[in-house]
Amino acid sequence: MKRVLTAGVALSAVLGLAACGAAGSGADQLTVVMWGGQDQKTHVKEAIQPWGDEAGVTIKQDSPSDYAKFRAQVESGKVSWDVVEVEPNFAHTACDKGWAEKIDTSIVDTTDLNPEEVTDCAIPVLEYAFTIGYNTETFKDAHPTSWAEFFDTEKFPGKRGFWKYATGAIFEAALLADGVKADELYPLDIDRAFAKLDTIKDDIVFYETGEQQQQLVASGEAPLVQAWNGRIYSAAKEGQPVANEWNEHLLSYDQLVIPKGAKNADNAQKWMKWYVEHPEAQAGYSNATAYGPITEAALEHVEPEVLAELPTSPENAPKRAAIIDYAWWADNYDEVSERLNEWAAQ
Amino acid sequence: MPQEAGDAPGAGSSPAPARRRPRILDGWGLLVLPLVAFLLVVFVAPLVSILARSFTDPTTGLDNYRDFFGSPVYLDVLGNTFRISGLVTLVTLLLGFPYAYLMTLAPPLWRNLMLVAVLIPFWTSLLVRTFAWVLMLGDTGVVNQFLMSIGLIDEPTQLIRNQTGVLVGMVQVMLPYAVLPMFATMRQIDRRLVQAAEGLGARPISAFWRVYAPLTLPGVAASCLLVFISSIGFYVTPALLGGPKDMMIGELIVQQLSAVLRWGFASALAVVLLLVTAALLLLVSRIVNIGKFMGGER
Repeated sequence: MKRVLTAGVALSAVLGLAACGAAGSGADQLTVVMWGGQDQKTHVKEAIQPWGDEAGVTIKQDSPSDYAKFRAQVESGKVSWDVVEVEPNFAHTACDKGWAEKIDTSIVDTTDLNPEEVTDCAIPVLEYAFTIGYNTETFKDAHPTSWAEFFDTEKFPGKRGFWKYATGAIFEAALLADGVKADELYPLDIDRAFAKLDTIKDDIVFYETGEQQQQLVASGEAPLVQAWNGRIYSAAKEGQPVANEWNEHLLSYDQLVIPKGAKNADNAQKWMKWYVEHPEAQAGYSNATAYGPITEAALEHVEPEVLAELPTSPENAPKRAAIIDYAWWADNYDEVSERLNEWAAQ
Repeated sequence: MPQEAGDAPGAGSSPAPARRRPRILDGWGLLVLPLVAFLLVVFVAPLVSILARSFTDPTTGLDNYRDFFGSPVYLDVLGNTFRISGLVTLVTLLLGFPYAYLMTLAPPLWRNLMLVAVLIPFWTSLLVRTFAWVLMLGDTGVVNQFLMSIGLIDEPTQLIRNQTGVLVGMVQVMLPYAVLPMFATMRQIDRRLVQAAEGLGARPISAFWRVYAPLTLPGVAASCLLVFISSIGFYVTPALLGGPKDMMIGELIVQQLSAVLRWGFASALAVVLLLVTAALLLLVSRIVNIGKFMGGER
């Protein structure tokens, strides 16, 4: 038994050392966490590394953003992330539960940002839209230009793809299709939305990832998807027969939050300040991805063919139905997810 | 696999040699301590905290379990998990057994080729393989296109977003786990036993089933256990290849853990899964002597 204890002590000593090794980091660094892949590389290259070079801060990266890890780090007090790209409903929850640092508005000037996208703990990092993504070969002459038509399987036969998560704007689309006025969307009438969804249930296909979304619409398997505009744009750029219909699009965005107790929270605030004040850096990211910049000033640095594919462009902005109300979603996500699981499994 | 260590009920018919027992903790036996310590830290301790959380988060009591057993959807998900895992086990056994047998008969070059053929997918990323199936099995995928072009079907059959898709994807992933243990067992079987049976007048088929097949059982049991238990934890494959009706519990746990952040409920799901799996194995061990098949006793 004594030997077991010795081994245990030795092991915990080793683990302890390892933890110290990870924690004993140099003073000036910033660990950025985003969704990973090419997107994150582009974002860091265009809009984070330049700040790091300027300020003499080493930029470190991790991916993808993971809310369970986020919460675990904060609760255990061992926070290795400094700034994290998240969906706004999580940002709301994190702020309410005290898992996120407050944004210091004496450092980060939020006046140029869309006030609907700023909270005590979060600023936007990019904007995108839920659009009607359609296959241009299946719908050569006419395609759905409203959610009502998107739900009209007689006029436009074929499967419809939706993201499988409740916050994927499926309920907003159903209610708009059912005639709810855009400015009266929230609080969402979930019963009414399910009733509308029932009418096309057999034609609904749920997708999990962005790649799946592109594949579904490009192959014609589901010639209509409720899409993320950037995914449709990049598939179209690769020569796939797909396009965005911007009418009645739903505006959405991702946010940046700083985990409570982040070691380099100061640097995170300083980078946020820099990001907000450097429209050309935002535009550099937009040009590569067709995700929208967070300030209007950035639009003039965006290339024209990309601008046409951004939700905030002068052409597309008037076609907006609504902006997703993530405060509502933060309060109702559990319950609606459970109902969506149930509904889909029946 | 708990059955490996302890004597399964009914296994005590042949008493273990007496000299083995007292020598477990001799000098060499102590070498097991690092592993025990490791398991305590990375397995037992987290398990205890998961168990505790399932009763305390968000409120103390049985709420999480009440939610689970009160909802037909979640029970369906649990049922799906075991049904699909069982089917995957069955199909991999049916495919893997003849394959492993053929490998023992093939000349070395062919045997190696067959081994590589099983292992290549094994070395490819799970996500890539699963996504490849999405492209193959879709309504506009290669398989449906081919079947339509030869006139076998007029419109696409649904091969994806249903149980078929999940089975195809999971069987392919699990096949190496089924083939390798069976092959390892089969190559050690003395084929002269079969010849002896035939020499004594058994017909080849009966020699195979009455002499050879029983000797492969340890490998078959190992394969089945490995495949079944690994299958229970799948979630990427069913999420991408299955429909909403084919949700397995792994996917539900991930959803509750990472998206909805109901950790107490996710913990309760994990506890229920663990208990049901243990109960199932216990049941099987009453019928089949797993300890013996896994090489625990001779």
